[in-house]
Amino acid sequence: MEESGVEEGGVHDGGGEGAVIGGGKGAGEAVARDRKGAGGAVARGWKGGTEDMVGPMAGYAGRGVKGDAAGRTVRDAVRHAAKVFRAEALKQHRQIFGSKLVVFSMLVWPLLTLIQTYYTLHPLAATPGIATRWPLAADPEPLLAFLATGTLGFTFFFSLVQSAWHFSMERQNGTLELLFLAPASRLAVVVANGFGALVQNAWLFACFSAAMFTMLDVVNVAHPGMYAVVFLAMLVPAVAWGAFLNSLLIFSRDAAFLYTLLDDPMWFASGVRLPTFALPGWLRAAGSVLPLTGSLVVVRGALLDGQGIADLALPLVWLAGLSALLLVAAAGMLKVGEARAQRTGQLRLF
Amino acid sequence: MTVAWATLRRSWLVTRRAYPWSYFVGTLLVGAFTMGLAYLGLRAIGGDQVSAEFAGKAGTADYLGYVAVGAAAYMFVVHGILWTGKAMIQEQREGTLGALVVAPARRLPYLLGFAMFAFTAVAVEVAVLLGFAMLLGVRPAATGVLDAVLALAGLTLAVFGMSVVLSDVMIVAGEAHITQNTVFSAIAILSGFTFPRDYLPEAFRWLGELVPVTPAMDVIRGVFTGGAGLPLDRLGVTVLVSLAYTAAGLLAMPWAERRAMERSY
Repeated sequence: MEESGVEEGGVHDGGGEGAVIGGGKGAGEAVARDRKGAGGAVARGWKGGTEDMVGPMAGYAGRGVKGDAAGRTVRDAVRHAAKVFRAEALKQHRQIFGSKLVVFSMLVWPLLTLIQTYYTLHPLAATPGIATRWPLAADPEPLLAFLATGTLGFTFFFSLVQSAWHFSMERQNGTLELLFLAPASRLAVVVANGFGALVQNAWLFACFSAAMFTMLDVVNVAHPGMYAVVFLAMLVPAVAWGAFLNSLLIFSRDAAFLYTLLDDPMWFASGVRLPTFALPGWLRAAGSVLPLTGSLVVVRGALLDGQGIADLALPLVWLAGLSALLLVAAAGMLKVGEARAQRTGQLRLF
Repeated sequence: MTVAWATLRRSWLVTRRAYPWSYFVGTLLVGAFTMGLAYLGLRAIGGDQVSAEFAGKAGTADYLGYVAVGAAAYMFVVHGILWTGKAMIQEQREGTLGALVVAPARRLPYLLGFAMFAFTAVAVEVAVLLGFAMLLGVRPAATGVLDAVLALAGLTLAVFGMSVVLSDVMIVAGEAHITQNTVFSAIAILSGFTFPRDYLPEAFRWLGELVPVTPAMDVIRGVFTGGAGLPLDRLGVTVLVSLAYTAAGLLAMPWAERRAMERSY
């Protein structure tokens, strides 16, 4: 984000807090609205800092033009969000891909988990009468494909849990407070943080899964466009889920707790390793609110059962609604969390 | 022994004041959900039966009991490594590794102190998990008290050996997350926690022999699963491999500490 601010340069109109907050139209305005309610140490810090403002704040504070049209405001906001998005995704990329060891979390762990799950369930699949209880498990290949799709979906979502965990390092490193002092859209930051992690963490395993499906010869797709539907059905809810998790971290100083708490319950309740009919009713109900559950319905329906858009319309609409809800919840929590953090000063505490 | 005792007291003091619930909840959930998977899978997929192949390879048709013992042992191993194996990197992260290096304390008693603490804490945690297993109808039984003690001692020694080596790896690599999770995922397959190792291709079975918890799990299986009794030969292998790990880890530690300290400046 600092890069984008420096790049933008520009001047500010000075005049203390009011000028910073009131002067910035467009991108700055969104930030300013957050600041107005702040009132605490952070806002006071801004007041003193405006005269010599450089770097990220300078660009946004000086960008306002009086009487600007609404279209311009929206354009600026989008530009700002895109900039923040690009910078945060780049930061996340550099942070995660700083070491080649990252291939372990992207490929090795999901692969090992897949093998373990397959062998653990194998004694149950090779039993008399399996064809009536769960026809898919009657042969090893479809069972493996079922588990692989589950692992693929879980990898997508779990990379977001990991990204949230990485985001919590900002607090440990003492940069979370600085991040909130920056005039960057909070929602853009958390969405970008998740997106950057997701694309990087999931692509390798997605390639692996595609290779495995080809080898297992179990793919049954209605038409090629369904691959795009499958991808979007994982990507959009996963990014929304990531933004939601990242926004939760504003309240918590023990991110590891969130990390472990959302790992196992997610695979258990979402039908990653078991078909949902094997789960008790209350667990199925609880799992249905997790976006991964809906994603897996689409992924398996489209890749293994040859279902088209019409067959999957209901889960797709559900996923879209759930994603929108998660984003709205994330934006709300960021606002509440930031106000609370400014009151308690806890962003620096770990 | 003074060092070990002091480390044990320190660890209990720290833990009493700030118990890392995330560790406990995390590993408990792994065990509980593994058992939950087995329980629901057995009911809905297996129709309350397992394949004859499993009974032949595992030496028992009690699938749920097999998975429960494996899940409890896995929790024991994972948590033991998280406490003991991460002790050194925790010092590094908190900035006290330098103080530890210049302190007149040897590493073996220091790590033994952590291990003593770890295994008393883990015993409580495993008991919670086994309580959950009993709720699902699992009734684990040992072939004898002495057998049970020796089997647990073997697993403890194996975890300690791995922890010493992992301590070196973690402070040299300067990270624990990737190392520990890769080790945990690998042993979950190689060491026969939730399925018989005979399911694996031969190369993987041999690879498993390189890890001390694999023979230790064979001993646990002999005593707690199927009633075959204590396999003395596998216990011997456990002791040998674990001691080899411990010796290698301790010998490499001065080098690892040097690397870790050099990187800090």
